[in-house]
Amino acid sequence: MARKSSRPLAGLWLVLAIVLVAAAFLGAVFLFSGDSNPYRTVPELEVRSYLENANSLRGNVYRIDGEVVNSLAWSPTSGRLIAVGVSEGREILPVLVTTEFNQINIQKGQKFIFLLEVDENGILKTKNLTKS
Amino acid sequence: MKPFCLIALLIPLHPAFSQAPGTMDQPPAAAPTQAAPAPAGGSQSSFLGGDVPVLDPGSEIVSWDGRNWNINNNRMFEARFEKFLSAPESDDASDREYQIIIESIMDKMAPNRVTPNSTDEAFQLLPKASAFDVDANLCDAIANQVYSSWLARRSKDRLVAANKGLEDERKRLEWNAKVTAQGNSLDPGRAGGTNDTASTETQSSSNLKRDMEMQPILTRLAEINGLLKANQLKNEVAELQVKIEFQALLVQLFLQRRFQHVVIGTRFYRSIFADGDSQLRVGDDAKNLFSKTTGLPPTLGTIDSMANEVMRDVGEGVAAFRFLLEKQELESATKRLAETFLIGEYLPGVRTLDRDNKRQALAFAQAANKLISAIEVKDYALAETIVTELAGSAKDFDSSKPMAAIETAKTVSAMHIAKARNAAVSGDREVLETELRAATEIWPRNPSLAEVSSQIFSQADVQGRALLDFDQLLGQKNYRQIFDDRMRFIAATAMHPERQEQLRQVLDNMSTVEAAIIRSQAIEKRGDYAGAWESAELAFQENPDDNKLNQLRSDLTTRAADFVRALREAQNLETKNQPGSSLAWYLKAQKEYPPSEFAREGIQRLTKEILPDAT
Repeated sequence: MARKSSRPLAGLWLVLAIVLVAAAFLGAVFLFSGDSNPYRTVPELEVRSYLENANSLRGNVYRIDGEVVNSLAWSPTSGRLIAVGVSEGREILPVLVTTEFNQINIQKGQKFIFLLEVDENGILKTKNLTKS
Repeated sequence: MKPFCLIALLIPLHPAFSQAPGTMDQPPAAAPTQAAPAPAGGSQSSFLGGDVPVLDPGSEIVSWDGRNWNINNNRMFEARFEKFLSAPESDDASDREYQIIIESIMDKMAPNRVTPNSTDEAFQLLPKASAFDVDANLCDAIANQVYSSWLARRSKDRLVAANKGLEDERKRLEWNAKVTAQGNSLDPGRAGGTNDTASTETQSSSNLKRDMEMQPILTRLAEINGLLKANQLKNEVAELQVKIEFQALLVQLFLQRRFQHVVIGTRFYRSIFADGDSQLRVGDDAKNLFSKTTGLPPTLGTIDSMANEVMRDVGEGVAAFRFLLEKQELESATKRLAETFLIGEYLPGVRTLDRDNKRQALAFAQAANKLISAIEVKDYALAETIVTELAGSAKDFDSSKPMAAIETAKTVSAMHIAKARNAAVSGDREVLETELRAATEIWPRNPSLAEVSSQIFSQADVQGRALLDFDQLLGQKNYRQIFDDRMRFIAATAMHPERQEQLRQVLDNMSTVEAAIIRSQAIEKRGDYAGAWESAELAFQENPDDNKLNQLRSDLTTRAADFVRALREAQNLETKNQPGSSLAWYLKAQKEYPPSEFAREGIQRLTKEILPDAT
């Protein structure tokens, strides 16, 4: 009688153990994968859509992961306008880094993750950025 | 030459004096049954139109009635002469028979052979001769005049017989008057003498009786004397009138150049009027014709000798013509024949000239007349051709005068044409027209003139067409076509400052375009299609209507498609007021072609828009 009741419990424990191992593996993968994107919940900007009609994206917030290609202009009141290469450099987008990020050095070749908002003129304005 | 002068001026100048025997194109000369009376008195000057024609043998010019003719260049004479040259010779049996009759008449009336019988025989031949067409009834006219003269002579005989009767009557009356006068002395009263008173009465009665008896005798005697005087006067007047009529006929025949008839007439005249009176009783003008040309008093003998001289001279002229023709001296032969024809048109020597010989002279005369006409109308090319032909056919043709005229005209015309060419080149229209007009007046049919005129007018036409094309192309903004035909338009607008300025602007722009095209093509050769396109696009924006540039730009667009598309999108979005997207496209274009001016300018422009206070 006792022998009959131990077999189902063993199987249950086995399954539970496998689940735990898998969860531990996944957690380890998550923890050690290096994905430090803080805006991963924010949708990535669809470059094609932006290029076709930026006005249609006004008010939306997106994130992009790109490399600084060039600094286009600087305004003491509005901030810095930079060119950011995205999609592995195939596309270049203008990004206005507002003055609140003046303390951040932005140079050509640096990679950033930008949290952007499409303003009323279709300009990508930084809401936040972080080096990637 | 004097007979020539006289005769030459007489005949062809008035239709009334011209006859064409055997033809009906002109009415036959007056064949009067009664000869026209000669003008009476020197005060009448209506003979030959009030002026006596004069021929200058040196210049061969006939002057008459205030006009001048060259006997070798007179339309009427030319026509008659050419008709004569074309006509067959009059050598048929009829003509020969006629000449035999005429010669027979002349022979029978020859001064050393004339007898009453021969005169009658010759008179009977006159109607026979008149039956021939060639005679034109002139022998009939002579016969009529002879017959009238004979009638006048018979009338004179009758007057003489009548006068004889009147003379007898006069003598009888004179006798009666004498007897009557003597009969009174036998009166008894006169013989007694016893009673004075009775005697006186008886005497008175006797005288009265004698007077009464004498009166009719004296009256009749006066009548008879009057009739005698009247008959004498009538006799003289009748003879004179007949003479005048006969002389007028002879002069008329002479003027008609019927010299054989003149000789026949003078011989009849002399046989009829054998009184030795041969003085011409015609008008002063007619007398002067003979006296002033021959220097001899105008008599019947003068006419006769001149007619004979003319016939001899015509014979010599014909012989000279034949000789010169044999020597192929056509000019002289034709002139001699013309002179001979002028005076001896109706003489057998001229009429029997064979047609083949005359045709040679005709060919020369026609060519000579053609030459004169060609020079008159200033067709010197034709004139030169004719001169060459004449010089080849006639050994004695003197081409120096016509050739001098031709060459002079050609040279002067060529000078004017050269001046016209220069004026055309320099655009001096006034001089051009003047020189062309002068050249035309000198040689209207100058082939060079037509050629130059054609060139000038063609040039003017080309210029006008070029200006029209220029205006049209300018309106169409087809500057490329203007540039391609620039040489034509530069020449055409040379005289039009406004168009010249427009053309200058077009060519300047097109030079820029051409430079851009060349530059683009050079860049393209390096493989820099985007740069080549941008260079072409820059020029295209300033000259969007240039097809060549547009074509180059289109070709380069396909070769630098990504760059061009990025730029187009950027520009399109910029116009749609989407600076973000537009700037992104400009950045992409710049990435495609970093040296791009369009991209750089677009980026700067949008950057300035996004960040107005950017530095």
